[in-house]
Amino acid sequence: MTATTMKAAGTDTAQSEKQPRVQNTGKRLGAAAVRLGAIATFALILLYFALFAPGFLSSFNLINVVEQSAILGVLAFGMAVVIIGGGSNVTEGGIDLSIAANMGLCAAVFATVLQAGYPDAVALLAAIACGIAVGTLNAVAVVGLGILPLLASLAVMNIAAGAELTLTQNTVVGAASPLLAFLVSGSFLGISALAWCLILFSAIMLVFIHKTTFGLRLYAVGGHPEAARAAGINVPLHVGFTYLFSGFCAAIASVLAVSRLSASTPGSGEMLLSVLAAALLGTVFSRRLVPTIGGTLLSVLFIGFLANGFQLLNVSSYWVNGVQGALILLVVAVTSFARGPEASR
Amino acid sequence: MSVSHDTGASGAQRLGGFIASYSVVITFLAICLFFAVASPTFLTGANLYNVLVNNVVMLAIVALGLTIVISSGGIDLSVGVSVDMASMVFVMLLAAGYGGVFGVTVGLLAAVAVGVLNAILITRLKISPFLATLGVLFIGQSTQQLATSGGQPIYLITGYAGDQFNAIARTALLGVPTPVLVLIACIVVVYLLLHRSVFGRAVQAMGAQPGVAWYSGLAVPRQQSLVYIGCALLCGITGILLSATVKSYVPLSGNAFLLDAIGATFIGTTLSAERRPTVVGTLLGVLLLAVVKNGLLLIGWNFYWQQVGIGVLVFLVLAVSFGLRRARQ
Repeated sequence: MTATTMKAAGTDTAQSEKQPRVQNTGKRLGAAAVRLGAIATFALILLYFALFAPGFLSSFNLINVVEQSAILGVLAFGMAVVIIGGGSNVTEGGIDLSIAANMGLCAAVFATVLQAGYPDAVALLAAIACGIAVGTLNAVAVVGLGILPLLASLAVMNIAAGAELTLTQNTVVGAASPLLAFLVSGSFLGISALAWCLILFSAIMLVFIHKTTFGLRLYAVGGHPEAARAAGINVPLHVGFTYLFSGFCAAIASVLAVSRLSASTPGSGEMLLSVLAAALLGTVFSRRLVPTIGGTLLSVLFIGFLANGFQLLNVSSYWVNGVQGALILLVVAVTSFARGPEASR
Repeated sequence: MSVSHDTGASGAQRLGGFIASYSVVITFLAICLFFAVASPTFLTGANLYNVLVNNVVMLAIVALGLTIVISSGGIDLSVGVSVDMASMVFVMLLAAGYGGVFGVTVGLLAAVAVGVLNAILITRLKISPFLATLGVLFIGQSTQQLATSGGQPIYLITGYAGDQFNAIARTALLGVPTPVLVLIACIVVVYLLLHRSVFGRAVQAMGAQPGVAWYSGLAVPRQQSLVYIGCALLCGITGILLSATVKSYVPLSGNAFLLDAIGATFIGTTLSAERRPTVVGTLLGVLLLAVVKNGLLLIGWNFYWQQVGIGVLVFLVLAVSFGLRRARQ
């Protein structure tokens, strides 16, 4: 990173970092109110659906939503980790725009390798290798060459999307295998395999990010890179890791996506905005307004339940995007007011 | 801070610095040369005209808008919505039989409304530009789907509306096509505003040192509002040109500009030592993307490979520029 970007990132994070430490009781109550407010909004909307949407509370429907959220959830975790490690500055902070296109490429690789007659293990390894390779490209660009993450991952997004189109010729590549069959129809304790994937992945992530030294260091690197370096943390290593990890998440999500549709399909790049929305919306559930695993999971489920509830209420699906956008704005606006006047500057 | 001074720099170092600063220019010239040799049609007047009118004008105007926003330290993900809103309102008004001037005016106002919404969200509600414009992008997509029963395009090829479209897109003054004239006007205005005016200095200050800009007494909210409204207006102009060129309104088509415009603007930042967006840099970025797209098509690469090619090329330009500059420090 150049001296100027370091300085800019430093001052920005310094301002937001200062908040929790010097805040008085009133502000702390305000932040708590936002957190509770966001959760309360979430609960109120669920309550509304439960009362008025037929079949919303049936276990079949609830599991269905969790299943549908699994893909978005895994991707959003990858994005959240990148934002944690890179800081949440708009133009200079960590971001991985290539994550959705990477998922599409991994799905294409996975389905193509399966179609070529190789077993699940080979296909899975190929998909993960592909995801991590794309992640490595991002990491080299961001850490090795010092390119802005927004810009580097934009170029990589084009490469991944183009590679997917070249590989599949923009067609649907069907895939069937024991692993996919298990993911679709397997179940344990009445909960389907896809839902288990999200539950287990969330649990692992929760421990990894919030209960390990590594996770703590990641927050330090993202929050204040200079301080982290002074404290002896290998900053480039940690930042580079986040991009490899988001590539890994893309690969895992691609396997889930292929299992849901029994094929790799073009157009997965469109998920990017939802992934960004989920990862960024998740920050309002945290005390310091940084991305957390729990917050990300909540917002992923929230987005899933919102789409599902609208479907059950027979509201045109054209409304879903708009309401999702309006809710993001509402929640974030309330949050920034609670942050207090200084923090907004 | 260990930027080597010119007096102490060796020839190789100086060359490195030169390449780091002008990698876009060098790449652009090299690519033009390559395509000129590889394809006999590349350097023909008809092809260059085609590149200019179809690939450069609209993207360049959107990218100019983003250049202002990114200069101010923000980002606008809703440029596509502004493009689409202007296009939608314009085409719908023409379809309803209103006059062309009225249609253009109200269309531009629709785009400005998007900018005003962004400005309110960012300056009044204190939402970060990224999230605010992301929210507006979602809302804009829904609005278009609801207004067109799920995304039905509106085609007005012939008749009254067709004439109005032709008056915008198919006319020329002194041999220069009207869209190109519009682009030139936009370039001049944005250049003067951003690089030669008090407003421009305020925008640059906000982008370079937001805290300092605030403490020096700049009216940051007002300037920010102007930035987002100006960007939306420019996108609206693109929307009008777009619908006049294709004689239709296709919902959600504006989004195609977003990533290319961001790419062009940031490629342009490699021209400046402080990595600041500039009008000249942005235009170079747009030209680079447009020429590569056109050239790859001419030498027979299909659309899929074009995307890979552009991604790799952008990556390499950035890698050379950022990498060399880092190596010097």
